[in-house]
Amino acid sequence: MEFFIQQLINCITLGGVYALIALGYTMVYGIIQLINFAHGEFFAAGGYMGVILISYLAAQGLHPYICLGLALVLSMGYCALMAMAVERLAYKPLRQASRLAALLSALGVSIFLQNGLMLTQGVYDKPYPTEITAGGFEWGLVSVSYMQIFIVVLTIVLLIALNLLVFKTRIGKAMRATSQDKVMAALVGINSNRVIATTFAIGAALAAAAGIMVGLYYGSVNYTMGFVPGIKAFAAAVLGGIGNITGALIGGLIIGMVEIFAAGYISGEYKDVFAFIILIAVLYFRPTGIMGENVDDTRV
Amino acid sequence: MKRLLALIAALAVMALVLTGCGEGEKAENVLKMGTMSPLTGPYAADGNDIRQGTEIAIEVIREQGGIEGFDDIELFPQDTACDPKQAVAAANKLINEKVTGVVGAYCSSSTIPASETLAEENIIMLTPASTSPKVTERGLTNIFRTCGRDDHQAPAAVKFMKDVAGVKSIFIVDDKTTYSQGLAEGVAAAAKAAGIEVLDHDHVNQGDKDYSAVLTKVKAANPDLFYISLQNSATGALMVIQAKRMGVDAVLMGQDAVYHPKIVEIAKASAEGLFCTFGAIDKDADAYKTFFTKYKAKTGNEPGAYSAYAFDSAMAYLKAVQAAGSADPVKVRAELLKLEFVGASKTVSYNEQGDSGSNYTVYQVKDGKFVPYWNSLSGEKY
Amino acid sequence: MTTQESRKLWLSCGVGLLWFFILLWPLLGITPEGLEFGKTFTVFGYVAVAAVIIMLFYQVQQAGQLDFVETPIKTASGKAKKIYDSMPRWALLGIVLAAAIIYPQLTERYAHDVAISVMIYICLGLGLNIVVGLAGLLDLGYIAFYGVGAYTYALMSLHFGMSFWLCLPVAGLTAAIAGSIVGYPTLRMRGDYLAIVTLGFGEIVRLIFNNWMSLTNGPNGILSIPRPEIFGYQLKQLWMLYYVILVIVIVTIIAVYRLNFSRIGRAWEAIREDETAAELMGVNTFLLKLLAYAMGATFAGFAGAFFAARMRFVGPESFTFLESAMVLSMVVLGGMGSIPGVILGVLALVALPEVFRGFELYRMLVFGGVMTLMMLIRPEGLWPASRVGRRSEEAD
Repeated sequence: MEFFIQQLINCITLGGVYALIALGYTMVYGIIQLINFAHGEFFAAGGYMGVILISYLAAQGLHPYICLGLALVLSMGYCALMAMAVERLAYKPLRQASRLAALLSALGVSIFLQNGLMLTQGVYDKPYPTEITAGGFEWGLVSVSYMQIFIVVLTIVLLIALNLLVFKTRIGKAMRATSQDKVMAALVGINSNRVIATTFAIGAALAAAAGIMVGLYYGSVNYTMGFVPGIKAFAAAVLGGIGNITGALIGGLIIGMVEIFAAGYISGEYKDVFAFIILIAVLYFRPTGIMGENVDDTRV
Repeated sequence: MKRLLALIAALAVMALVLTGCGEGEKAENVLKMGTMSPLTGPYAADGNDIRQGTEIAIEVIREQGGIEGFDDIELFPQDTACDPKQAVAAANKLINEKVTGVVGAYCSSSTIPASETLAEENIIMLTPASTSPKVTERGLTNIFRTCGRDDHQAPAAVKFMKDVAGVKSIFIVDDKTTYSQGLAEGVAAAAKAAGIEVLDHDHVNQGDKDYSAVLTKVKAANPDLFYISLQNSATGALMVIQAKRMGVDAVLMGQDAVYHPKIVEIAKASAEGLFCTFGAIDKDADAYKTFFTKYKAKTGNEPGAYSAYAFDSAMAYLKAVQAAGSADPVKVRAELLKLEFVGASKTVSYNEQGDSGSNYTVYQVKDGKFVPYWNSLSGEKY
Repeated sequence: MTTQESRKLWLSCGVGLLWFFILLWPLLGITPEGLEFGKTFTVFGYVAVAAVIIMLFYQVQQAGQLDFVETPIKTASGKAKKIYDSMPRWALLGIVLAAAIIYPQLTERYAHDVAISVMIYICLGLGLNIVVGLAGLLDLGYIAFYGVGAYTYALMSLHFGMSFWLCLPVAGLTAAIAGSIVGYPTLRMRGDYLAIVTLGFGEIVRLIFNNWMSLTNGPNGILSIPRPEIFGYQLKQLWMLYYVILVIVIVTIIAVYRLNFSRIGRAWEAIREDETAAELMGVNTFLLKLLAYAMGATFAGFAGAFFAARMRFVGPESFTFLESAMVLSMVVLGGMGSIPGVILGVLALVALPEVFRGFELYRMLVFGGVMTLMMLIRPEGLWPASRVGRRSEEAD
């Protein structure tokens, strides 16, 4: 039983991380139907910015928690700026072109950013000051660290904030309008370019937050860290129903759960196989994902 | 916009052509060497260690007055990205550059196909890092290995577990690469033979960051010793941190890929007490000291796990060329077999097969540093 | 160009550079020891100078100052195009073929190696072109079939001693079967759902290669695979293998060309343009989509078998998602649905990293940048197919 509870806690943490990354994928996809391969790189860049800022601020003698808070906000801002630049340079000119062209442009950007990070930050892993959030609770065999609680709480907070943004604010309304019909939205006076840029910025900011969480939780960041979680988060977004915010959370949790339980009860080497089989099985029976709407064929 | 972009492309091509032209003039009789290691991708850290180690060796030889009969030594570092296809392309590129000796590659899966390509032109290849027994067991005459072998490392590790640590049960985890899995299987077999109970042998995948599921299993199994066989130190650090956080009480033990100064830097207090098997390095030897100071001065980093082996591989090759008086592969091979010198990593001498023997020592992390703990050859503690 | 336009241009250039500086500085300049600008300014300086030079060039060109260079180039290229148009198709093909045949005699082994890689990717690209370019099904796990082909040859030749020429069709067949297995459950999905499912299949296949020890020898891969033979004579030299893959490529090109202009090819294109309409017109979309997967996989299987024979080693590292993405890039970059386009795309993407070998650490950075740039310059591909409409799913 304790074994099971511990694994459940592991699931929720991992699922939370996947969900945070998946949110960005899903938002960008929802609005311009682009699989943003560079999203994983925003996640890695956020992780690096986090460690750079935390060590700089800590050297200035600030309290660790203030450092962490400031670093979180600043890295989110940094990645938002980066995403806007990428959107303007690599995706906007291709908005009228075929979607595969944009997909490849995204792939190129991803390779570029990954190697840019390698060249500026070095090939070695960068250690995170994990002392800030060390510690946790322990009941018998079950242990929960503060960091795990922090990840789950932050995921929930960001998710609620995002839902409020999308459903209660003007810009959120504009986003929903643009994602439904760009031309119509433009006709009623929505500046779709600005809306798209904002969406990219928000998605990247969430990825940056996830990057810092991962850095603190696992203890280090490196420049290739965006790749595997990027694919998993993409799978999570699709599983939940791409374009749907709650779906991203559910998808992230499911992928996390399948991975952990497959590794815990069956075998570690086949856990990804199980994750993808579940994905395929779900999509076979619900071709638009768990929370996906049944859109008519012409629009999918 | 389109035209602007076309122009940029044109400029890029021009720049390319110009840099191409710049390389035109060269000294006449140059000894050409290559390195093959992953300079991009997930193993770039170890790949850079290899390249830099080789560069230092060339620098040292240059300072000693170079090699008689050659005006200069030129190095062609190639990226293999730990991908067999790219490794073969790199090998062919080196053949085209008329390179006569190669230090590399890192992943055994790159070394094996690349060595066959190099063998066609009889180019000497000295691997500083590929520990798979297969590397030297294919009857090729051009391949030499400066590091140890997996089938020596596993018994050494098990001997340590039984005789020194006195453990009764172990739990093994590897990350499914040629090297890490081969070694883990060797340890499992040797442990069973030595009467140590292997509670489980589980795997994780490369690129994973989250090991919580496997570690929960380890905790539940409660072994005396947790053997970590991973492809590099970065993943090793992840495993160690998470194991400590999860509250795994077992003695932690890693292998030569986990042995790297960076693991202490990343895992900090969590790495304390970790054991690792690695070749015995005599840090007081002159060869090591020159190497260490030069390396640190040039790169700003402490030498990585394979830097010293790369340095020795390059030194061995250069010394053999010096002795042979030419870069003729047959003569160089004969000299390499005769060679015996004290290098930065160990006393280097190659046997007929190309192996240089293993001298695994168990190191332990103490106060943020790897200190030698037990020597497998003498069976004594330091 | 008016002054106003030019001012606008320089303004956007300035904003871009400022933005770049804001992105670059935190990565290079913030250290625990304090803030530092030296390194950032050095890197930024190079980029800024390059940007300004490009802008100046652009302005001069816009102002017509470069006409003395441009006009002759334009007329020359116009003439070349005229000659190209007037030449009969067979003559052009003959020239290309002759060049391909004498190529190994003129070059060294590194060039042979690159050429062999290029031709392997041409097979892969043309195969994927059937799935993506003709039938319009996005496939991100295509490399799995390549792997199936490679492992088929490796295992068959080692365990049963079958010759390369016998294994080649078998490898194609097993890959086609794998293609149908992947194709079947994905047929209900469209667009990006299809993409993630194929990606998932690709990863599953790779993980099986990596984990099924008794069959594939796991991460150790399969060693000492026999070389192809002709009448008992082993093809040891690289240039001999070059001719083997050349033959495979020619066969592939002819097959894809014939398919493209057959009933099946037209049906695929109908599905790509509008699946619902195609079904209404009596096209059996289910069977044809499955066939597209199987046909595409077959060519990947051929390429895989050759790859195994050429490397004499197969391991799971060769069949990662990144490889799938590369092959897809070649197809899209070259121009979907067009055979010369795919060949051009392959040339561009295989040759580039090799050309950039001299850049060492900057190799992949430049590669990523150039890839994006090429997509921006020619979003429809280098040599787009003549009859391509917009895919139905892209219409808003």
